[in-house]
Amino acid sequence: MPRDLPNPNVEPSRSSYRPTENMNEADDMGLLTRIQTGDQEAMSALFDRYGTMVYSVALRVLKDAGEAEDVMQEIFVQVWKNPGAFVSGKGSLAGWLVVVARNRSIDMIRRRRPTEQVELFALPSSTNLAREAERDSLLGKIRGVMGSLPEEQRKSVELAFFEGLSHSEIAEKTGDPLGTVKTRIRLALTTIRKALTV
Amino acid sequence: MSTRPHIPQEDLALYAMQALTPEEQHAAQAHLDVCAYCRAALLEAMTDVAAVGMSAEQQALPDGARQRLMARIANTPQATAPAPGPVAVGPVREERKAGGLGWLGWVAALAMLAVAAYLGYGKHQLQQQLSEDRGQIALLTASANRAEELTEALTSPAAKQVTLTETKRPAQPVGHATYLPARGALIFVASNLRPVPENKTYELWLIPANGKAPMPAGLFRPDASGSASVVLPTLPQGIEAKAFGVTIEDAQGSATPTLPIVMAGQ
Repeated sequence: MPRDLPNPNVEPSRSSYRPTENMNEADDMGLLTRIQTGDQEAMSALFDRYGTMVYSVALRVLKDAGEAEDVMQEIFVQVWKNPGAFVSGKGSLAGWLVVVARNRSIDMIRRRRPTEQVELFALPSSTNLAREAERDSLLGKIRGVMGSLPEEQRKSVELAFFEGLSHSEIAEKTGDPLGTVKTRIRLALTTIRKALTV
Repeated sequence: MSTRPHIPQEDLALYAMQALTPEEQHAAQAHLDVCAYCRAALLEAMTDVAAVGMSAEQQALPDGARQRLMARIANTPQATAPAPGPVAVGPVREERKAGGLGWLGWVAALAMLAVAAYLGYGKHQLQQQLSEDRGQIALLTASANRAEELTEALTSPAAKQVTLTETKRPAQPVGHATYLPARGALIFVASNLRPVPENKTYELWLIPANGKAPMPAGLFRPDASGSASVVLPTLPQGIEAKAFGVTIEDAQGSATPTLPIVMAGQ
């Protein structure tokens, strides 16, 4: 077994009396609560759950494996240092991690500080992403929706999210009016929302 | 701000992606601070934006990434101490040994629970304070970075100084543009401006030296004394300016200048 894959036979930590099987199915808040008690095994489980997702977003933005790993590590170390900040909110940890990964990566490109207050919002979600199958299903669904968007809508929203361009920069790059760029991004996000709430 | 119209949905999504101009981002933040409706709408926009991020093709982690992270975790202390274990076990066992004085154990347990509750409340308060402090630090840092950029744009020898005057009446409205092409940093200060109707705004334009179309460089409206400014609008870096101009546009601004050009300078 590669060293980076989760080991299902790991002994439970002393701070935990629950079997490891439960750890793999514990919801995010359950894992964060255990991380708050210093449970490194819970931290490991959280990384196994979302490490790839965070790394993939950072890599898509930065296009550099080393920098993407740096961003990923900083985010998970931040979670380890202060999991209480997330325990108190009832948001989607997955969504939060994705947005933070994107913002940290953009900041690395721009070499400027993040607009932290945007990240402080808890993200509502009714989707339980604890199980791998549900995670894969959701990610596949989102990729399907993105792929089905009209080219100009998908391009506009990707330039904003993954390239960190402002609406005026997108307008300049694509040669489209500012209002058109805004409308395309709104339509793309509306389509995604509708698809995910069906 | 609360009496102003709510932030349009498309602007909320752009705000969530930090894709508005600095002025728009600041205005949106100010409105969100006082508008619960828009804060709720922002949560939905954030969820949509997060979904865009989840569309990224999943990539395999670099070899050893997990091990490196866990090694770092093992050597990184947490900000908060681990939660204490159950406190009632000791006193209950003591009761069995102490016979008639067993109630002392219960008193001790209750006292410890009270202390634990007090400490828990204190911890909650500290976490709340920490969260507030973090937000404040982020604001101060952003403010400091902006000030640094501003200072450089004002003091750099490479900054281009341009005075704009009204095209037909040079003696009256005056605008000064300070522009640093390498950083795309622009500061524009105007005075003696004529008022514009409620549904109109002044718009500043950068006319590139390479002959490309004028670039919008910020909206502004004069205050009661006729003064206005545009500070560090979002502009690409490295664009040499041939000239600057000002037009009057509809309140939401325009992507192309509407004639006449009421102020110009080069």
